[in-house]
Amino acid sequence: MIKLTHRHRALMVVTGLSLAFTALACRLVDLQIFRHAALSREAASNREQVIHRQGRRGEIRDCNGNMLANSQSVRIIAADPSITTSNAPAIARQLAPWLKMDEASLTTRLTGSGKYVRLKLKVDEDTVTQIKALKIKGLVFEDQFLRTYPNGPLASHVIGFVDNDHKGVQGIEAGLDKYLTGVAGYEVIERDRKGREIRANRDEEIGPRDGYNVVLTVDQVIQHIAEVELEKAMEEFHPQAGVIIVSRPKTGEILAMSSRPTFDPNNPGGFSADARRNRCVSDVAEPGSTFKIVVCSGALNDGLVTLADRFDCEHGAWSFAGRILHDSHPYGVLSVEEILFHSSNIGAAKIGVTKLGAARLYDYIRAYGFGHKTGIDLPGEVSGIAHPLAKWNPLSISRIPMGHEIAATPLQMMMAMNAIANGGHLMKPVIVKSVVDENNTTVAKFQSQEVRQPITLRASILMATALRRVASPEGTAPKAAVKGYDVAGKTGTAEKIENGQYVKKYYSSFIGYLPAADPEISILVSLDNPVGGAYYGGSVAGPVFRGVAEKVTQYLAIPPQFADPDEKKVAKL
Amino acid sequence: MRSNRKRESLRFGNVAKSLITCLAISAIGVGYVWQKNQIYRLGDEIKKRETTLSATEKRNTMLAAQLAQLKSPVYLEARCQQANLGLAAPKETQTIRLLEPGPEWDARFLPAVQPAAAQKTVKPARPATKVVASR
Repeated sequence: MIKLTHRHRALMVVTGLSLAFTALACRLVDLQIFRHAALSREAASNREQVIHRQGRRGEIRDCNGNMLANSQSVRIIAADPSITTSNAPAIARQLAPWLKMDEASLTTRLTGSGKYVRLKLKVDEDTVTQIKALKIKGLVFEDQFLRTYPNGPLASHVIGFVDNDHKGVQGIEAGLDKYLTGVAGYEVIERDRKGREIRANRDEEIGPRDGYNVVLTVDQVIQHIAEVELEKAMEEFHPQAGVIIVSRPKTGEILAMSSRPTFDPNNPGGFSADARRNRCVSDVAEPGSTFKIVVCSGALNDGLVTLADRFDCEHGAWSFAGRILHDSHPYGVLSVEEILFHSSNIGAAKIGVTKLGAARLYDYIRAYGFGHKTGIDLPGEVSGIAHPLAKWNPLSISRIPMGHEIAATPLQMMMAMNAIANGGHLMKPVIVKSVVDENNTTVAKFQSQEVRQPITLRASILMATALRRVASPEGTAPKAAVKGYDVAGKTGTAEKIENGQYVKKYYSSFIGYLPAADPEISILVSLDNPVGGAYYGGSVAGPVFRGVAEKVTQYLAIPPQFADPDEKKVAKL
Repeated sequence: MRSNRKRESLRFGNVAKSLITCLAISAIGVGYVWQKNQIYRLGDEIKKRETTLSATEKRNTMLAAQLAQLKSPVYLEARCQQANLGLAAPKETQTIRLLEPGPEWDARFLPAVQPAAAQKTVKPARPATKVVASR
């Protein structure tokens, strides 16, 4: 036996310890150097989590800052069935009244082998607080945005709506989607063993940016007036469809744009595609007599006629190129002014045929913007139909002056009338005023823009002189007259075409502006196939125009030009 | 040897140095832990405030939407009808329009005001005449 001295024992201990430490060191080198990347990834995945946060979609506001659309934070309530299965009936009993769901279906969802099942979408924050207070294990609460439209169907065609992914589908929601959509952010967080975030260990944080707010030129009060008057007209005349546009002639700003049938953007799926269509920009029709403003203003502008020049209106029937053209009432010799306020088809055709000529008429059609999109910030706009001169037939020169063989959107007609109202300047329609951020700092400004000047100031004044008499007792639209105000306008009654044939159905319209000398507002009313006898623009659309104009002038405090005699009598009494 | 050890053990300075070193290391350790703890507590506080802020913002947007609904002309008109208040927009004859000072105001009212204004502008000339009289 070797007798171990204390030196030997010490050597053995030191050797043992050295071996142990060497083994540990090797293990450490292996973990920290050779397997470092893989292990650190695994550790991070256990500890860290990347949370994506979606920016809130911007608001849509009217010109006075009233909210027309906004995004609210709501929650998705989900469950982990691997936790809830054992107690599913009891949990379902607790949740059913809050989620407004029946217990049986909830129990079915809460039972299973999966890890995630959605119970309800779009749950408001208050309900979530109440459910959280129940302290039910296995429930998951996720954030979601819900697009809401506080005014329901008001201006629905202008505002549009979004899809389930919060992407704009129609109207301003689609047209200005790039401004409205927020930018997503993310956070890299660490959680403790209870699943709570350790805030101090948050590594990266890039906050989301909310979408910009879009301010429209639309005024919700004027929009409401237009909607109410259009609704009344729909009840009275039962047309298939109807539109009203209210605008400022000098700037081209749209104050209201209403279409019927309509829909509620809070539930767009509950309405047909036909109801969701903005007829002001996407429907074309032959404008009828309202188009006479183009041929008459063109001839006046070129100095080919004066308001006093007279044309034989052939007592209601004029044969041209082998076809007979009729007037609704037989007229003899009429001046240009009378042709306008009596709305003589033969008179307008004769101005086109004998004075203006096809080439100049076509020039004016293009100059007024027909056959081109107006460029309004609304998707789905169509350009209308204005056939090139080469495709005109021998009859065209007599038919186009009275608004046949041409198709325009209501907005195009409105802009053409605005050009006459404002001294001859064709304006680009403006429906978006500005884009602002959350601090109301302007990000983008949409200013009114002149497209071109189709007629001179002199020609526009001459046109206004004639158009003032349309709403007089001798004109075609005495019912469009507004007490105290000087109204200028033009009626239109166009036959509809079905299967390539004119049928006894009509588009009845009236486009007018006031005060005629210095226009503040212009209004277009168009009803598609009114039933019940009356169908002339003056008798159907005229009263609707007056209803809108009376209320809008009152709301905008537009001073009257002359005192109303009836009101004076009341005042004296 | 033993006497040497005794002498060394009695050196107060060494003991004190060791103690101070230990205390300093302990203090640094405790301070570090305390600071870490404070950081986590502060983190928790920030998290709570963030949650409150987020909830408040959510509530704010919800209330803003409610307010917009309550301010909408559709709702106000319905409420007026329900309450039978008989409210209606004022007619033109019930409206008095006041002109703001400007060219239109001047054109309408200035000629009537001018004579009085003219008299007032003559007044400053009086002292001059007085001075002449005193001579």
